[in-house]
Amino acid sequence: MTKFMLTDEEKQQYNRQIIIPGIGETGQEKLKKARVVVAGGGGLGSVISTYLTAAGLGTLRLVDNDTVELSNLNRQILHWGKDIGKAKATSAKEKLSQLNKNINIETINVRIEESNVSELVAGFDIIVDAMDNMPTRYLLNKTAIKYGIPFVHGAVFGLEGRAMTVIPGKTACLRCIYHGTQLDGKKPVLGTTPAIIGSIQATEVIKYFTGIGTLLTSRLLIYDGLNMKFTELKVTRDKNCQLCGDSNHTERK
Amino acid sequence: MSVNIKVATYLQPYIGGKENLEVEGKTVRECLNHLVVQFPEMKEMLFDKDGKLLDYISVFISGDVAFEDQIDNPVKDGDILTILYVIGGG
Repeated sequence: MTKFMLTDEEKQQYNRQIIIPGIGETGQEKLKKARVVVAGGGGLGSVISTYLTAAGLGTLRLVDNDTVELSNLNRQILHWGKDIGKAKATSAKEKLSQLNKNINIETINVRIEESNVSELVAGFDIIVDAMDNMPTRYLLNKTAIKYGIPFVHGAVFGLEGRAMTVIPGKTACLRCIYHGTQLDGKKPVLGTTPAIIGSIQATEVIKYFTGIGTLLTSRLLIYDGLNMKFTELKVTRDKNCQLCGDSNHTERK
Repeated sequence: MSVNIKVATYLQPYIGGKENLEVEGKTVRECLNHLVVQFPEMKEMLFDKDGKLLDYISVFISGDVAFEDQIDNPVKDGDILTILYVIGGG
C-alpha cells in the first residue's frame, strides 16, 4: 500500500466525485498526490483553496501577506467578521484545516517577490493565480514558464472575470495576451465574480490532475456578469512573446 | 475591408452601449481610427497622448494579438477584432 492509496474514510469523503466517469479512485489518488500553490488568499484564493481542499488535493500551499480588513468581507469568503486584523494566512488555515483534515495545508505569510518566488513554487505541480495585481501575476507567469509549471490564470473586475490555463511552451501564456497593468486605485468587485472565476480555476486544476475533459488552454474565457454572458476568445501563442516565444526557449528548463 | 470590432464590457459605454460594430480599414490602426472617428471618447481609452496604443489594451485580430508594435498589421475582410483591457483584481 502506497501512501497515496485512499483510506476507507477518504473513499467515502470523496465518493460523489469518485463516481464521476473518468475520475474514479485512480483519479482521486492523483489528486491526493498533487501539490498546488495558490498565490493569493483574497476573493479568488478563498474560493480556489476552499474547493481544492474539499476535493482532496493532497498538498495545498496558500501564499498571502495581507491582513483581513472589513472591506474584504463582501467577497473573501474564507475570512469572517471575527478575523479582522488577523493575517489572511492564519485565517485561511483555520478554516481549511477544519474543512479537510486528510490533506496537507500550508499557509505562508509572505509577499511574493522576484527574490522568493522560485523557492515558493519549487517542488509544486501547478500554480494558481489568485493575485490582486498584474505585476505579481506577470512574475508568477514568468516563473511558471521558466520552470515548466502549469499556471491557471484568473482575474476579476466588477462583474467581469477572465480565466485561462497556461501549459508552458505549448499554449498561450499571460504575456502572449497582456502587456500592461491596470490603472491604479481601488478595484470594484462583486463577491460573486471571484466565486465564478475561482470555481473555474479550481475545476481546471482538478481536470489537470485527473486528466478528464479539455483544459482552458489558448482560450481566454471572459465572464460578463452584467449581461450574463460567457464568451471565449481563441488566442494564439505569440511566436514573438517576450517570455514564451520561440526565441526564448533557452530560458525554459 | 470591413471588420467587426468587439469591445470588452468596460469599454461598451464609450461606443453607445454596443458590444460590437462594423468598421472599415486595411490595418488594425485604421480600424481603430475609424472607431475613434465615430466615438471620439474612445480615443483616450485606447491611445496615449502621443497616439500610441495604451499598454494595458490588447487587440486580437481573429485570435492573434496586436500590441503597439503590431498595430500596422493588415486585417482581412470579415476579421473579428477584439479589444480587451487588462483586468487585475482578485
